[in-house]
Amino acid sequence: MIGRLGAVALGAALLALSGPDIGPYDVPLYATASAPAAKGRARLVFAESPFGIAVTADGHARYDAQITAAGLPAPSSLGAYRAYVAWAVSSDLTRWQRLGVVTNGTSTVGAVAMDKFLLVIAAEQDSTVATHRGPSVLHGSSPSTFLQSFQAHTAFFHGVTD
Amino acid sequence: MCTTAALLVAAVAATGSAQQHDTTMPAMPPGMPMPAPPADTSPNAKEPAGAMHMPGMASNDMAMPIPMPKGMVMMPGLVGLTPPGGTFLPGAGVNAASLPDVRPSEVVRVKDGDTLDLSATLVRRTIAGHPYVMYGFNGQVPGPLLRVPQNATITVRFHNRIDLPSSIHWHGVRLDNRFDGVPGITQQPVAPGDSFVYHVHFPDAGVYWYHPHVREDVEQALGLFGNMIVDSPDSAYYSPANREQVLILDDLLVNADTLIPYGKTGPDFALMGRVGNLLLVNGEPHYSLAAHRGEVIRFYLTNAASSRTYNVSFGGAPMKVLASDVSRFEHEERVPSVILAPAERYIVEVRFDRPGRYALVNAVQAINHYRGEFDGEVDTLGMVTVDSTAAAPDYADAFAALRDNAAVTRDVDRYRPYFDKPPDKRLTLTMRGSGLPLATVQFMNVDTAYYAPVEWVDGMPDMNWLSTSDQVRWILRDEATGKENMDIDWHVKQGSVVKLELFNDPKSFHPMQHPIHLHGQRMLVVARDGVRTKNLVWKDTVLIPVGSTVDVLIDASNPGTWMLHCHIAEHLGSGMMTALHVDPGPAR
Repeated sequence: MIGRLGAVALGAALLALSGPDIGPYDVPLYATASAPAAKGRARLVFAESPFGIAVTADGHARYDAQITAAGLPAPSSLGAYRAYVAWAVSSDLTRWQRLGVVTNGTSTVGAVAMDKFLLVIAAEQDSTVATHRGPSVLHGSSPSTFLQSFQAHTAFFHGVTD
Repeated sequence: MCTTAALLVAAVAATGSAQQHDTTMPAMPPGMPMPAPPADTSPNAKEPAGAMHMPGMASNDMAMPIPMPKGMVMMPGLVGLTPPGGTFLPGAGVNAASLPDVRPSEVVRVKDGDTLDLSATLVRRTIAGHPYVMYGFNGQVPGPLLRVPQNATITVRFHNRIDLPSSIHWHGVRLDNRFDGVPGITQQPVAPGDSFVYHVHFPDAGVYWYHPHVREDVEQALGLFGNMIVDSPDSAYYSPANREQVLILDDLLVNADTLIPYGKTGPDFALMGRVGNLLLVNGEPHYSLAAHRGEVIRFYLTNAASSRTYNVSFGGAPMKVLASDVSRFEHEERVPSVILAPAERYIVEVRFDRPGRYALVNAVQAINHYRGEFDGEVDTLGMVTVDSTAAAPDYADAFAALRDNAAVTRDVDRYRPYFDKPPDKRLTLTMRGSGLPLATVQFMNVDTAYYAPVEWVDGMPDMNWLSTSDQVRWILRDEATGKENMDIDWHVKQGSVVKLELFNDPKSFHPMQHPIHLHGQRMLVVARDGVRTKNLVWKDTVLIPVGSTVDVLIDASNPGTWMLHCHIAEHLGSGMMTALHVDPGPAR
């Protein structure tokens, strides 16, 4: 028989193994070396729209990001920075879109209309910057980045080699 | 070859041999499907004879039982299979030439107390040069446009002259339950040759539509639908417009020159519904309208497609949305496009402020499962050609203004005290499959890393085609009791305000969006994924994206037994329905 502490430890271990329950709109955020104690997650919600879901005229989904962060140090502790700003970044890193200011707690920013994107939270010179320059502290990937290629799906039916 | 793969090959082969084979179809050569370069993505562009493809995609130059997306061949494990259960086409082989040509919809203005006849018949429709045996109301597709004053009651004598049992459901209309048109609930199906008399009362202004509630995947898909516009006595009910246009959006799935047959005993394409490769406006592939410079046109839009969700716009012309299913919005809004799930309606006004050509397009981001990428698809549904003559009167100023509809807000205000109450009912939207081809099961089990909130196109039509209502059970599950679909026994008192939480389970075998329709009542979408709706409108159909939780508030004011179901015709035909009993009682 295991004791209470053992049971708690086992439960925690199982939870760690199974991971959080990630839904199709959830974006786990991971800390960088600039702020190793930072934690966060984001949830994408459709931007306000009379149609319930929001897309652009050419069909790209438009999301706001509800970002919940904890452990963000004072921006000034990282250098000449005064605010944290969330950026949506195209998967080829060519396009950075400012989403809004993030603080510890929950901040809703957006909207982003990219099919696949990275979510980056960075310390910036001030809360109004239009260009990303500061150190990133949290980052994650939109659920759509996990869209897989099944170009080789015929391997299921014609065999694969080790 | 690894052992697992070898076993899988054997299993797939065994599955294939156990099912009916179409011996007229050549076996597909094994090989890697290669993505094709981008091309003209309009499916309604002129095609060479024999072309067959999905919207935005080219044919494979191989004999296919169904059109496949460009660059894709049928999954090898599915080649040679056909949907079990047999096939159905209307007319039992009648020569299309012997049928009358379909006519465009005619406007029928009716007033309180009037009686009219609606007959469902076989018609010949020639679409993109090919004649098809299809259905129509009074020989028309869409059926006659009924223009009715608000609060009128009319009598409709329905005559079924097609080869299937039928009925008419008056979609969105809060009418007497006896005339809701749902066989098994409010009436018996109207057998071929028989008639049924409906008394239809129209309490709410707006745009509504009528269609059968029997085998919608066949009857509605083949042309049995029409609109009703209910006119408010207030001449300034909407912002002023120079003209009105009524557009029913629909699609049709065809091969070279034939309809893709329908399931005989129940729907095929049960996984995601039948998505057509010909996009139609008012039954035709090329909508055309001439307009004057500066003209403001009010469009009444209805999505009558079985499964397709649209995202339509008018070549960048400025547009504002005024109303949806059962009311105006609290506030008019400028919008870049209109998103319509099956059965939804929106009323918009568009100002064509410069001469030129404005393409009516459906623009979506499709998923290419083979490349794991999003593909933009643009389907041109029609064209508005604007000349240089100035429109008169000039409604530029009125169009620029966004009106607040205080009457709607006052009406909604009576329900705001209920917005934050806990849900009275909870439904989970999910599915189960059994007997599906192993190749389908294997693919679906692996393709789990990402689910699009909305599937705008059918990316895997081979798997979809081979799924039938015998194999797929779409489910509404009551979280309180665990009961499913018609086993759910929900009773509420007339006059009660019911908060219903709808959760679209992303972990089901095939997560997909569902347009959920409630008959005979009206409802407010008060929150989506915890975010409060800011601009409210009364609805009868609400789109639930994959993984979303949507809270609706039902104004249960109309006594009777009312269907609640997914309006994807093949999902409905695969069980995704329940009933809400609104028991008579004192009004709130």
